[in-house]
Amino acid sequence: MSDVMNSQDSREIKESNPNVNSAVERCLTFESGGLVLYISTEHVIEIINNHSITMLPLVPPYIKGVINLRGQILPIVDMRLRMGKEETEYTSKTCIIVLDINSVSLGIIVDSVQQVIDIDLNNVRPIPLKRQQKMLDGMVTMEDGRVFMSVDCQALSNAQY
Amino acid sequence: MDNGMDSILDTYLFETNSLLDQLEEMLVRDEKIGEFSSDDVNEIFRIMHTIKGSSAMMEFGSLASVAHHIEDLFFYIRDKGIDSLDPEHKKELFNLMFRSEDALRGQVEKVEAGEPLDTDMDSFAAEINGFLKKISGAEEEAPADVSSGQEPAPQAAAPEGLPADTDAACFLHIFLEEGIGMENLRAFMIITAVKECAIDFRYYPEGLELNPDICGEIAENGFFLAFDSEDAASKAEDIVKTQGYIRSYELVTPPQEEPPKEEPAPAGAPEQKSSAPAVPEKKDTPKKAAANAPVKQSLISVNLMKLDSLVDIVGEIVITEAMVTSAPELDQLSRDSYDNFMKSARQLRKLTDDLQDIAMSLRMVPISGVFQKMNRIVRDMKQKLNKDVRLTLVGEDTEVDKTIVDSIQDPIMHMVRNSMDHGIEEDVQDRIKAGKNPQGEIILSASHTSNEVVISITDDGAGIDPEKILAKAREKGLLVKPEEDYSKKEALGLIMLPGFSTNQAVTEYSGRGVGMDVVKKNVESVGGVVSLDSNVGVGSTFTIKIPLTLSIMDGMRVTVGKSIFTIPTANIRSSFKISPEEVIYDENGSEMVERIDGFYPIVRLHQFYGIDTEVVNIEDGILIWVENNDRSFCLFVDDLLGEQQVVVKPFPAFLSCFELKNSGIGGCTILGDGNISIILDILSLHTATLENNI
Repeated sequence: MSDVMNSQDSREIKESNPNVNSAVERCLTFESGGLVLYISTEHVIEIINNHSITMLPLVPPYIKGVINLRGQILPIVDMRLRMGKEETEYTSKTCIIVLDINSVSLGIIVDSVQQVIDIDLNNVRPIPLKRQQKMLDGMVTMEDGRVFMSVDCQALSNAQY
Repeated sequence: MDNGMDSILDTYLFETNSLLDQLEEMLVRDEKIGEFSSDDVNEIFRIMHTIKGSSAMMEFGSLASVAHHIEDLFFYIRDKGIDSLDPEHKKELFNLMFRSEDALRGQVEKVEAGEPLDTDMDSFAAEINGFLKKISGAEEEAPADVSSGQEPAPQAAAPEGLPADTDAACFLHIFLEEGIGMENLRAFMIITAVKECAIDFRYYPEGLELNPDICGEIAENGFFLAFDSEDAASKAEDIVKTQGYIRSYELVTPPQEEPPKEEPAPAGAPEQKSSAPAVPEKKDTPKKAAANAPVKQSLISVNLMKLDSLVDIVGEIVITEAMVTSAPELDQLSRDSYDNFMKSARQLRKLTDDLQDIAMSLRMVPISGVFQKMNRIVRDMKQKLNKDVRLTLVGEDTEVDKTIVDSIQDPIMHMVRNSMDHGIEEDVQDRIKAGKNPQGEIILSASHTSNEVVISITDDGAGIDPEKILAKAREKGLLVKPEEDYSKKEALGLIMLPGFSTNQAVTEYSGRGVGMDVVKKNVESVGGVVSLDSNVGVGSTFTIKIPLTLSIMDGMRVTVGKSIFTIPTANIRSSFKISPEEVIYDENGSEMVERIDGFYPIVRLHQFYGIDTEVVNIEDGILIWVENNDRSFCLFVDDLLGEQQVVVKPFPAFLSCFELKNSGIGGCTILGDGNISIILDILSLHTATLENNI
C-alpha cells in the first residue's frame, strides 16, 4: 500500500496552500488509452492495484465488475472501454483509482498513474469537437507542451450514458 | 457521539412524536365511540402540557403556543366535565383536535428537517380559542383575552391586571432590578426559595422557568406570587426580603368582584373548590409523567444507527468466522487436533447464531404503529368521500424489522387510500343491491410465515374488472402482447405499471397513476413482492410479502465458470444430476426435466448470464431444483461448493441503473476468502428467464 494516496493529505495540502490564485487545482494525472487525463485530487480516495474483480453479468462491458475494498462493495469501470476505446490486457502498471464523486464511490481502471500537478483552471479550454458521449470536458496545455484532458466527473459518476 | 444539544433534540423529537402518536390513537379510539372519557381528557391535557413545556424549553415558539392553547381548551373541558358539551360541539372538537395534531406534527416535521418553524400560528390559535369561546358560551370575554396573543400567560394580555386566580386571597407583585438578564430564571430562584419554606402558593406567569421569551415581560411587569391566605403571603414576604436582585415588591389584594379569566368557571363556591386542586396539579404534571414511567421501565430507546452498526458487526463476525473455519492451513493439522478444532468451531458457530438472532430481534418492532396510522386515514377519508367504512386490523402485534416498517408505511397508506377511494362503492345503494352490508369494510392484516411477513389489504368493494384494466392499458399503450393473451392475473398486474390509473378524475387521495407503481417500488426496495387478487362484485385483496430478515441468510455456493453464485438455501428443494436422455424439449427447444410431481424448466445460468464455462453438457454439471412462491424450476450450474451463512450486501447505488434486481441478482456477499459472490434472487430470476421469453 505504498502508493496509497490519502485524500486527507491532499486536502490538507490544498488548505495549507490556499494560493494567491484560487483557480489553481491540484490534480492527479494518469494515462488511459493513449491519452493523459487528469482528475481533481478532491475526488481521489486512493490508488490500488492487483485486486481481483468479480464480474457482473448483464451489464455493459465497461463495467468490469465489483471489488471488495475492506468490506465495501465498489463498482469498477474500465476507463478505456468507458471512452469507447479498445481493451488491452492489464499489466503491472494498471491501477484502480478509487474515486468519490459527490458520494458516489467507484473505481476506474487506468493504464498507469503519473503524478499530482497543479492546474490553473483558467487555462483549461473546452474540447472543440462535438461528440455523442462525452467523458472528457476540457483540455489544458502545460508549459512543457504536454496536453492533458479533464475527466468529466459528472458523466463518470453516471453509470449510463 | 453527538454533542449535547443534538441528543436533547433527539430526545425531544422522540418524546414529542410518541406523545402525538399516543394522542392520535386516543382520538381515533374516542371518536369511534363519539366520546372523550375523562381519563382521556386528562391525558390530552397532560400531553399538551408536556409538549408545551418541552417545546418552550427548546424555543420552538409555534409548537408551544398551539399546545398551550389546546391545553387551555382542555383545562376548561376538564374543569366543566366532558358531558357539558353537546354532541355537535364534540364532533367539532374531534375535528379541531385532529387538525391541531396535524399542525403540531407539521411543525415537528419542520424541526426534524431543520427548517425554520412557522412563526405565525396565530390564526390557528385563534381558531382554538374561538372554539373555546363557543363552548364556554356566556363567558365570552375571558377567552377573547387569551386569543389576542400567544403569550403563555394570561396576564400578558392585560399587563396591568392581576393574574387570573380566583381563589388567591392576595398577590405578591415582585419587580426585579433592571438589566440583570435572565429574568425568568432569577424569578424562578426566588420562587424556589419561597417554596422551600413550605408555603403553599402559585406563581404567574406560569412556567416562567421554561420560557426564556418572557424575560422582557418579567423585567417590565414583574411577576406574581398568589397566596391562598394573607398569612402565607406575609411569611413569603419575609423570605422575599432576603432575596437579591429585587427592585421592589408590593402586596396586592384582589378586588372581590374580579372576573375569572383563565378559568371561566362561575364564581360559585363549589366550583372554586373544584378548580383549586387543579392548579397545583398543573404544575405537577411533568412529575406525574415520570410517575407513569414504570410501565416502560424495562424499555430503553436506542439510536437506530447503533443498532445498524451492531448488525453490521455481527455480519462481519459471521464472515470472519467462515474465514477462520475454512482456512486452508487447517488441512495441515493432525486428525485429532482438527477434530478438536472443529468441535470448538461448532460451539462458536452456535454462539454467533444466537448473537445474530438477538441482534436481529433488537430491530424488530410491532407493526401496530403503522396500522394505527391507517385508522386516521380511513377516518379522514370517510368524511371527505362520504363513505361509511370500517377498518379492521388483524395481527397488529406482528413484529417486523424496523427498516421494513419504515418502507411499507407509504405503500400501505397508498393501498388503503386506493381501497377507500376506488374499492368501496361510491353509492351505498349499490352495496345494498349487491346484498352487502351498507358499511364497507377494509381489513388490514399482518402475519408471519416461516421466512416472510405477509401483509394484506382486503376490501369488500366492487372489485377490479380485468376487462376494464385491459381496455385502459390499451388506451395508454401499456400492452406488450395481444390482449387475449393476458391471463386474469397478468391483467390485474398491469395496475402496477407506472402511469396507470383507472380513475377518470384525479381525486385528492388517489388517481394520479403514481400510487401503485410507487407501492411496488417501495416494497421491492426491501426485497418484497406485491400481488393483487380481485373478484368483480366481491372485493379486492392486495398482498405484500417481504422476507423477514434482510441481512443474513443461509446460502448454497455454486460455481458457473469462474463466478461463484449464492442461492438462498430456503429456496432450494434438492439438487441432482441427470443424463441427457432425461431432458425433455418443447417446440422451442427449451429444456425441461421431470421430477416427482411434474415437469420443470431448466435454466442454464451460464447461458443466461453469458459466462464462459467448460461445463455445457447436462451430465457434467448439476441441477438445482429451486422454488419460491409457487414458481419452481431447475438451475443448471457447474458445481456445488457448499453451504455458508452469508451477509447480504446491496449493490452500490452506481449500478442501480442496470436494474440487476430484475435479472435475478438479489445482492452480493463477501465470502470467507474475501471474494465477492452474487446472490441469486430466485423469484426475479424466474421472471427474467422464463416469463419474458416471447
